[in-house]
Amino acid sequence: MGEFSNQRKEFLAQKIKPSAKRRSELLALTDSWIKELAQAAGVSQLGGAVVAVGGYGRGELAPGSDLDLVLLVPPSANPNLIPQVANKLWYPIWDEGMKLDHSVRTVAQARTMAADDLKVALGLLDARTVYGDESLCEKLKEQVLADWRAMGQKRLPGLRSYVQDRITRNGELAHLLEPDLKESFGGLRDLGILNGVAATGIAEVDQTGLASAYAFLLDVRDALHLVTSRPSDRLTLQEQAAVAELLEIESDDALLRQVSSAGRTISYISELTWHRVKHQGVTERKGILRRKVVVPVMSDETPLAPGVMVRDGEVVLAKTADPSTDPVLVLRAAAAAAQHGLRLQPETVNRLASESAPMPTPWPRAAREALVSLIGAGRLALPVWEALDQFEIFNRLIPEWAVVRSAPQHNPLHVFTVDRHLVETAINASTMTRRVARPDLLLIGALFHDIGKAQDRDHTEVGVEIMPGIAQRLGFDDSESATLVKMVEHHLLLPDVATKRDPEDDATINFVAQIVQEHDFLEMLHALTEADSRATGPAVSSEWRLSLISDLVSRVHAVLRGDEIPPPPELDPERLEVGASGDIEVLLDSMSSLPTITISAPDSTGLLAACAGVLALHQLSVRTATTQTVGERAVSVWGVTPQYGDMPDIQEIARDLGLILNGQLDVSARLERRRQDMLGAGFTYPPAQVKILEDVSARATVIEVRAHDFPGLLRIVAGAISAVNVDIIAARVATLGSEAVDVFYVIEKTAGGAHLTPARAQEVRSTILDALELSNSVT
Amino acid sequence: MKLITAIVKPFKLEDIKVALENRGLHGMTVSEASGYGRQRGHTEVYRGAEYTVDLVPKVRIEVLVDDADADSVVSTIVEAANTGRIGDGKVWVVPVDSVVRVRTGEKGSEAL
Repeated sequence: MGEFSNQRKEFLAQKIKPSAKRRSELLALTDSWIKELAQAAGVSQLGGAVVAVGGYGRGELAPGSDLDLVLLVPPSANPNLIPQVANKLWYPIWDEGMKLDHSVRTVAQARTMAADDLKVALGLLDARTVYGDESLCEKLKEQVLADWRAMGQKRLPGLRSYVQDRITRNGELAHLLEPDLKESFGGLRDLGILNGVAATGIAEVDQTGLASAYAFLLDVRDALHLVTSRPSDRLTLQEQAAVAELLEIESDDALLRQVSSAGRTISYISELTWHRVKHQGVTERKGILRRKVVVPVMSDETPLAPGVMVRDGEVVLAKTADPSTDPVLVLRAAAAAAQHGLRLQPETVNRLASESAPMPTPWPRAAREALVSLIGAGRLALPVWEALDQFEIFNRLIPEWAVVRSAPQHNPLHVFTVDRHLVETAINASTMTRRVARPDLLLIGALFHDIGKAQDRDHTEVGVEIMPGIAQRLGFDDSESATLVKMVEHHLLLPDVATKRDPEDDATINFVAQIVQEHDFLEMLHALTEADSRATGPAVSSEWRLSLISDLVSRVHAVLRGDEIPPPPELDPERLEVGASGDIEVLLDSMSSLPTITISAPDSTGLLAACAGVLALHQLSVRTATTQTVGERAVSVWGVTPQYGDMPDIQEIARDLGLILNGQLDVSARLERRRQDMLGAGFTYPPAQVKILEDVSARATVIEVRAHDFPGLLRIVAGAISAVNVDIIAARVATLGSEAVDVFYVIEKTAGGAHLTPARAQEVRSTILDALELSNSVT
Repeated sequence: MKLITAIVKPFKLEDIKVALENRGLHGMTVSEASGYGRQRGHTEVYRGAEYTVDLVPKVRIEVLVDDADADSVVSTIVEAANTGRIGDGKVWVVPVDSVVRVRTGEKGSEAL
């Protein structure tokens, strides 16, 4: 048998570009060898057959592949003969130095094993007779397939969790810099799995692009084995150049982009297939859901946002929704899906991709907020993002994104392609929103901090050049744009200084202080740094390294002047005249980009809560609010957006406000019920934060609340403050994406309007936190 | 042959690398470490911000050298790592029985 060995060596020594043809030649060579062995071993005397399973069964052999063989024997076979025949078959293969996965079975035994073991079943579905009695193999395949079909409903959840496991353990082919061509999700293993799903007959597998993506990955694997002379399937950085050359691809970067593209195709088909499976009623067992939280079932047709609703547990467009006239719809739908832990229905994504009108420049506020809200949903945003990215929707919305999409990184510290690294940074940042005063800027800054990569120059320089354009296009004002650019410019400042300069040296601390200037910006940069490190790889996100950075940050905070707190809001005199008669008056200004409602009413404790409540009741989402008391009246100006449809009737708002103030309308019960209906599956938002800001206002004690926004949040917070006899004399409310930053100027209701003592301030703080926690619990 | 181990302040890594390269050494192993010495529990006050120092981040540098070079390499490291303040670290030397270069199989001094 040295002959086969030589032939094989000769064959593989020809460094010819891998192809389907070459694979079939290697296959033919191997098959004829196995036939020889089988004949010499006496397989026919046994009445048996040598059957190839798995990849070999499908006719795919890479230079480094194992041989996967089953010696099928009839029940009538002479039991004394079997070991002899088997050894004569297996030993020569081992002696050749080939790796062998082997077993001896009757058809009945093989069938039983398949019933118990998912991988065995999948392998047998691809069985192919290499030598001997074909009818044995055909019988086996028939039975295994029949069993597989019969047990389809039961086997698919197991298959699904096997896929999830692979994602966790081996990552995604499309986004790794050193993917495992077989085991990473979107890799070669997925074809066998998809064949398995198709074989159940429960759902069809979309074939578009599947065969060519798969064939390409086979070519890459062949090339990898030839170049390394080893059976590993991991396409490491150091081998990529040689593999690219063998495949006649122009560069290692081009290779990785093509591999990434193939991975995307396969993983998308896989996601689509599982989506179809789910809709055939095959449910996932509890405990194999990735998030160990029970997903509450939202009833169909539940509206999530204007033109967006739930159907069958997925997000679809309402009948009246029209992407061709509503360019924000795509982002709005995506944000709504992510915030509720749901996915977009594939047909919906398709429709949004092909029909959406181009986004106006600059983006409308709603579009910007939706993007912030989308990434603010953290890890739940990922499948939604991936679905949109499959159709290159982000390339269209943000042209600069196209350069970094699937872009490789030439740094061994990095694990992900540039685009995935940016998304991961934003996802990490979503867990840090409470640490900063402008969560929206943190999220956007995170998403674009490395946007300058994949070009032939220093990425920070490029980033600083292109970020202003992006910021302006997204509709940020000059000061916000400046902050975003500054974040891109200095995103490496903290790690560089922390690891390379002496933290105990004043010069080091002053150097950083000069650049950051303000506490708020330092907090933002710190959060960005941490998010970035964790999205890079294990080498740079060790607690060791992060603690060096935290230490530096503490030292810099200590030398910065106190930040200027904006003075209490003052409304312009015209607004203050509203409702001068003394009754409740409500005005609507729908001319500006954000519809504004002005409410004037006699001042009383609990007025702010009542106003917030009536707006929530009428399904208006509060984006901004400023309030001021003037004499006996309080005037508040609210920037609102309707949650689902048109603006409600102002007269009704005025009437309802009166009823609430008279105690004739209990808003809390209604809002609570509505809220329970809307709860999506468990992204654990960072808990609310309440800060008492000392010595910043002469007139009042200042309380800052940072929390995840939900309808009724403001009512609950304002209500909690009033409940302990504290008066809100002014407030400034901002909802940034899905995060709220609310600042209240408060005084004691009694005692002539004094500042709150520290003890009282803490009491207010606890009351607010308790109220928020209560409202967060799912009953 | 000797193994020289140095525990030093993280930001001193660059200076030590440069000093060792100038001295003709072209290989080293670096790892993250944390530790404390006599400063443990010592409360530092920096511009009004007080915090307790417990396990402090350090860097561990290891180099293999011929016996004859050990003393001078130690001096090079000590000089480069010194700031004069608490927490500068320590350097020590242990004897090594054998060394092999993985790629070529070279042994002993040839492998250094």
